[in-house]
Amino acid sequence: MKRIAITLSLIFGSLFGNAQYNNLWIPDTLSGTNFNLAIKDTFAQIVNTGNQTITGGINGKFWGPTLFMNKGDVVHMNVSNNLNDSTTLHWHGMHLPAVMDGGPHQVIPPGTTWQPYWEVKNDAATYWYHPHLHEMTEEQMIKGIGGLIIVRDAVESALPLPRTYSVDDIPLVLTDRDFNTSNQMPLLPYGDSAMVNMTLRPQYTIPAQIVRLRFLNAAIERGFNIGFSDNRTFYVITSDGGLLSAPVPLTRYVLHAGERIEILVNCTGQNGTSVDLKAYNSTLTQTDPGGDILPANTIFANYLARIDFNLLHLNIGAQTTNPITAIPSALTTVTTIPASSADITRNLTIADGPQGPNGVIFLLNNQIFDINQIDYNVPLNNTEIWQISNTGNFGHPFHIHDVQFNILTVNGTAPVAAQAGWKDVVYVPAHTVVKFIAKFEDYADSIHPFMFHCHIALHEDEGMMGQFIVTGNTTGIKQLSGDENLFSVYPNPTHDKLFVKFNDANQSAYYIKIFDALGRTMLMLPRPQLQDGIDISQLSKGAYSILLTDDKTKQSTSKTFIVN
Amino acid sequence: MKKTVLKLTVAFAILMMFIGASAFKSDSGKAISDFNLRNTNGKSVSLSDYRNAKGFIVIFTCNHCPFAKLYSKRINDLSAKYSALNVPLIAINSMDTLIYKEESFAKMKLKAKGDKFNFPYLQDAMQVVGKNFEADHTPSAFVIWKENNQWKIKYKGCIDDNGENPQLAKSFISNAVDDLLRGKSVTNPETESFGCKIFYRK
Repeated sequence: MKRIAITLSLIFGSLFGNAQYNNLWIPDTLSGTNFNLAIKDTFAQIVNTGNQTITGGINGKFWGPTLFMNKGDVVHMNVSNNLNDSTTLHWHGMHLPAVMDGGPHQVIPPGTTWQPYWEVKNDAATYWYHPHLHEMTEEQMIKGIGGLIIVRDAVESALPLPRTYSVDDIPLVLTDRDFNTSNQMPLLPYGDSAMVNMTLRPQYTIPAQIVRLRFLNAAIERGFNIGFSDNRTFYVITSDGGLLSAPVPLTRYVLHAGERIEILVNCTGQNGTSVDLKAYNSTLTQTDPGGDILPANTIFANYLARIDFNLLHLNIGAQTTNPITAIPSALTTVTTIPASSADITRNLTIADGPQGPNGVIFLLNNQIFDINQIDYNVPLNNTEIWQISNTGNFGHPFHIHDVQFNILTVNGTAPVAAQAGWKDVVYVPAHTVVKFIAKFEDYADSIHPFMFHCHIALHEDEGMMGQFIVTGNTTGIKQLSGDENLFSVYPNPTHDKLFVKFNDANQSAYYIKIFDALGRTMLMLPRPQLQDGIDISQLSKGAYSILLTDDKTKQSTSKTFIVN
Repeated sequence: MKKTVLKLTVAFAILMMFIGASAFKSDSGKAISDFNLRNTNGKSVSLSDYRNAKGFIVIFTCNHCPFAKLYSKRINDLSAKYSALNVPLIAINSMDTLIYKEESFAKMKLKAKGDKFNFPYLQDAMQVVGKNFEADHTPSAFVIWKENNQWKIKYKGCIDDNGENPQLAKSFISNAVDDLLRGKSVTNPETESFGCKIFYRK
């Protein structure tokens, strides 16, 4: 009897093998020009049995919504931090003013609302947002705080590409996590379990046609060498920050932390079959993030090192109506920045530094990040070549804020076709020199810097980061004393809106913060638009102070007001 | 890097406590000094108020933490069951009220009323009691027991092993108290506590 039962269970096991999979979670979407994002401590049933895992989520239980934005729109973000800790939210890849960027300088204390806004100037592609609080980035990213941004524009919209979200246009956020015996996620750079969209062992059904997969590597450290189990060709259509000139046919592609690609895969005529999306990480080496094997008793224990493992089981189902059935031959004209137009070449170094308690501490420009030190002053509209020489024994994905760049050379050779477009992360392998070129347009700010850093969150937290300010076109000289008559607020007392009136009509606000009577930050408003007043309807009754930093002198002046 | 060192130090300390616990079973655990904290009914509460107590279940919890919120009914049930056996339950909120508006005494009163707490819900405004217990998250649970006229920690960790599904949960707290009531040493004296971190002001 027992044997029959076992035989039956084996048969059923192979017939219904899908039982081992979880259905891939697809993040919710938000679109328009006003986005409400509530960051919170929460928990989720990630491991199938046992306790829930403590996570961080935005509007939900783990990870956050996918934001759809149109190029040219002005988007307003309403970010409330309901976490038990301070945080920041960085719009990775977006070209915007430094004061809106959400880097380590735009700290949002617990209970505070931050309202940045900007005009979307980026081309259509997949971007993302994530915490960037210095020394806390790894911890908050492991909790799962983050989300995707999908930018649409006229060029991309005119192309015959799949763009029905979750049907033939599917977001795939790659990460890895460790789960301990209590099902909690310890603070470790590598996890034993691969995850896609925060789902363990996921499966998903895609239609039998051309399907677009949008990949983000949101891992702390691991790179993923993406490929399909039947070695089918896929077509890369974007690099980080825009369309490539034409789809690039490949069977494998290594995506490092922070990088995105979109690919097309042809499933026409394959209804009823299945294929696995895999990480062919056996090809990675000791010097690649994810390929390194270090003693198991260190924090770098890496169960998935140099093995191939499944990412996503894909079931191919029925074709939809009006499917895309052909890979386009061309996408857009990528006008790269000519090397000859550079105003300056900056030389940056990556090196193995001193031995720390957990191994080598990696250095950017032979130093550890100092949040009070500006490393470069970049004149507005400068075109710059950044040459990064990695003399160390480990590769690092290098990310710069503010700009999209073109890779010029990797050890003197032009970049591969899939990277010959717009990028904001470039992998700098061990003992390699990478050169890229970028133009620093639109946003000068004498106070707020942009960051550049290794996108391995652990390395960044340990200080593999620097910062630059874009200078020019602003007056940034601090005057000796603030002017009490700079502005007035009305009505006072108030209950829904607070208006700010400058005595000098040419003056404007660079930053406004509103604090309650105990000094808690309530609202953070970078470059607020004041014509309609400040919405203070969420504030409870009491005394508040408004701290206004004016645009001309960058001097801060405080006034009190009452909410009744 | 610093944090990792700290974590390793904590892990080492925990390991040492385990080794300590197994080597000296009879009088394991840190001694807790008595305290005097304000209850949501306005009165103050000390351990010495409970003349017949054999031990206490002490739960560090708070108002806003989503994981802690799952446990109100279970804590009421534990309190009802064990206070009858002279093991009263006390809940303490050690969250920094300056940072977290949600943790104010007024909101604690609302929480105690709304969740029909049948036990004292005390505000640890100076965070001294939380520090003394080394409570690191909400919820975290302790069992202290009278030994040589001292209150010794006999269990620390989580309440049980399933936040969302009480019917599937194994109650570490019940098991610890039952062991102690039978005069035995606690079989499972320490588990991992998790939820919302308690930040201590310097």
